[in-house]
Amino acid sequence: MTSHLSSVTITGIGSVSPHGPLAGLIPSAPLEPTAISAWTTPGPRRAFLVPPFRPADVVPGVKTRRLDRLSVWALVASSLAIKDAGIDLNQVDRSRVAVVFATAFGCVELTEAFYLSAAANGWNGTDPITFPETLASAPTSHVAMFHQLRGPNITVSNKYFSGESAMIQAASLLRHGQADLAIVLAGDALARTLYSWYEEANLLSPSCLNSDPVPEAGGFIPSEGVAALVMESSTRPSTRSYARIGPARWSSGGQPAGGISQMLGSSMPSFIICSGNGAPCATSPTAALAREIAGDGAIVIEPKSLAQGLAGTGALFHLILGLSSKPGSQPIGKEALFLATARDNGFAAMLLELP
Amino acid sequence: MFEFLTHSRLPPLTDPHKTIVVTGVGVVSPYGIGLDSMQAGMLSGKSCLQPAKDDVYPGFTGTIAQVRALPPLEEYSNPQYSRTDQLAVMAAQDAMASSGCNRSALLDAGIVMASTLGGLTEIDTSIAKDPAAWYRRPGGLLRAASYPFAHVADAVGEHFGIRGPRCAISVACASGAMAIALAANMLLDGAAPIVLAGGCDPLCPFTVSGFNSLQALDPNPCTPFDQNRKGLNLGEGSAVLILETLAAATARNANVLAVLRGWAMTNDAFHPTAPQKEGSGLADCIRLSMEMAEVSGDDIGYVNAHGTGTPLNDSAEAQAYETAFRGRKLPIPISSTKSYFGHCLGAAGALEAAITIMAIRAGALIPTLRLATPIETPGVDWLRGEVKRQPLPLAMSASSGFGGSNTVLIFESGQA
Repeated sequence: MTSHLSSVTITGIGSVSPHGPLAGLIPSAPLEPTAISAWTTPGPRRAFLVPPFRPADVVPGVKTRRLDRLSVWALVASSLAIKDAGIDLNQVDRSRVAVVFATAFGCVELTEAFYLSAAANGWNGTDPITFPETLASAPTSHVAMFHQLRGPNITVSNKYFSGESAMIQAASLLRHGQADLAIVLAGDALARTLYSWYEEANLLSPSCLNSDPVPEAGGFIPSEGVAALVMESSTRPSTRSYARIGPARWSSGGQPAGGISQMLGSSMPSFIICSGNGAPCATSPTAALAREIAGDGAIVIEPKSLAQGLAGTGALFHLILGLSSKPGSQPIGKEALFLATARDNGFAAMLLELP
Repeated sequence: MFEFLTHSRLPPLTDPHKTIVVTGVGVVSPYGIGLDSMQAGMLSGKSCLQPAKDDVYPGFTGTIAQVRALPPLEEYSNPQYSRTDQLAVMAAQDAMASSGCNRSALLDAGIVMASTLGGLTEIDTSIAKDPAAWYRRPGGLLRAASYPFAHVADAVGEHFGIRGPRCAISVACASGAMAIALAANMLLDGAAPIVLAGGCDPLCPFTVSGFNSLQALDPNPCTPFDQNRKGLNLGEGSAVLILETLAAATARNANVLAVLRGWAMTNDAFHPTAPQKEGSGLADCIRLSMEMAEVSGDDIGYVNAHGTGTPLNDSAEAQAYETAFRGRKLPIPISSTKSYFGHCLGAAGALEAAITIMAIRAGALIPTLRLATPIETPGVDWLRGEVKRQPLPLAMSASSGFGGSNTVLIFESGQA
């Protein structure tokens, strides 16, 4: 069924990614995976990694000691998105600001650390400071605490459509007057246990094991980072619009083409930003579906490797990278489709109105 | 047409497409499977809290409440199902039976399931030392696949072939209640015709150790809202509600168990583990939920409190009730049912929603067990002693959690 999510505008973007911390769109610079050095690997291993940076250099006053990197990045990305939106939180009723965060694995680094402390000291000797920081919702609550945001504070996950789910839930809060403004975040951090899982499950692209470029015949390159959007109900005056969110539809099965066409009604977007998960970009089923829906004349932004590497939480990066790739010279019309599929496991689609 | 649901003192529910009703309740609790077993146990004053006897991990000797006497788990077994998933699937199955919905009627249903643990039950400490070796163990990769908390929603969806929008949420101890609130939003959006929503969490060394390290556990059966309270006990379980609009429920001639009249979510924005000391976040949440429900404090007949039994939570929560219900003509009756089977974390809010519905339907104000010397709180009637029998048209369930999350649900009787 279709969610009618009109009157919600994306007004700010922030991110912490392998491109570093950024406010606004992400320049479409080429990106190569980098070697993993944070833990010992059986040989050279590569991934799209967030380069080290001092959070306080980006967000003055932020304190990140003993937080999981995911919490740190959520704090930084949210701050950059708020800054990008030109919002002075002192002028905002903070009880009306929601935070919605999507993650697949949560604070996996500190979860590892907690297990290590249990292995070393027994379950009766674990670290009380680490424990609450292992919660998947810890980044969401840190964003609320840092910015003093007292509205709904929600952590969501979906195997394939976490980011899309967060956007839809946030738009729903705004539409129903349960918030006036929402900070929407999505992302994950790579850790040893996660990378090993991908490797043992034979999910990795050969590019992860070789420093020379390897055509992506299969597998994916794991990635990490957090992307943030500021979403506002359109009754609030805003200085910028990246896109207005129209109807959305998501499902865990069924035939996507018919459902999406029904959602689109008379709209015929000629600019389609593809999201997705788990499939090499070169064989993206999402891009094929996009062409099936919109025809060969449509401009289809294929899933980007950086976002594809975030298992299920790459949607916001897909969207940001897609908006960053918007052609300046070609007319693309006012409407865009943000589209994600997971083969037989469903789809998520959202109509966007571009400025 | 739909005014039969409205009690004379309350504003009428005018739009059946925007009225959210509960048509099924499924429960797996330390009392067993089903709302009836929980009702029988709680109304008889039976506590499920027991000494741990090394059940959780060697050396832990606190008090817990375990789910026992389940049907053979093999019936629900799937190589990728964690114990968390199994609890979720069982509660969903019980909810479906309670609602009279068959699987085909739920084909396009939405699912919002909450858990704080996900598949942590399937993982042990050695994974952190050598993950590759851990995954190479027989079944290692399959067990790891259940780790993401999204898997609990997938387990329910895949087990019953449900293909509507699906997500999991994790907001610490408010998770189960928030799943219900978000499911109600999904219905208002028209994102699904019917939604299964709830929470599940099992006992697990990871969380028991964590709460133990925080010195948050009472080694004996907990005493929520008592001046001499010493902490919480952990329990396990799951609960799933089936929610739909009144229009949809009426169209399929469903039995309406309760109306979800109002809901709200707030955050304290205060501390990673401690609540805001005056309970302002929860008080705001109560106020917002009553605004949505278009009711006043005088209309609420009972509050099923979060009431963990920790010194900080119960103190802040008591102040929240004092603030939110100030001006009420009579003291507000409040109890913590965590005194019966502990704190079930991600399941707690959903289980307590089920208990609140049960209280409305049974016309029973359920007391807090072992409450000898209640916190002195103006305007609050701390329920203790015997169950009080009285009509209960409207009741509230309040949940809070680490990170400051609060969710309040207001249920109204489905029968005039």
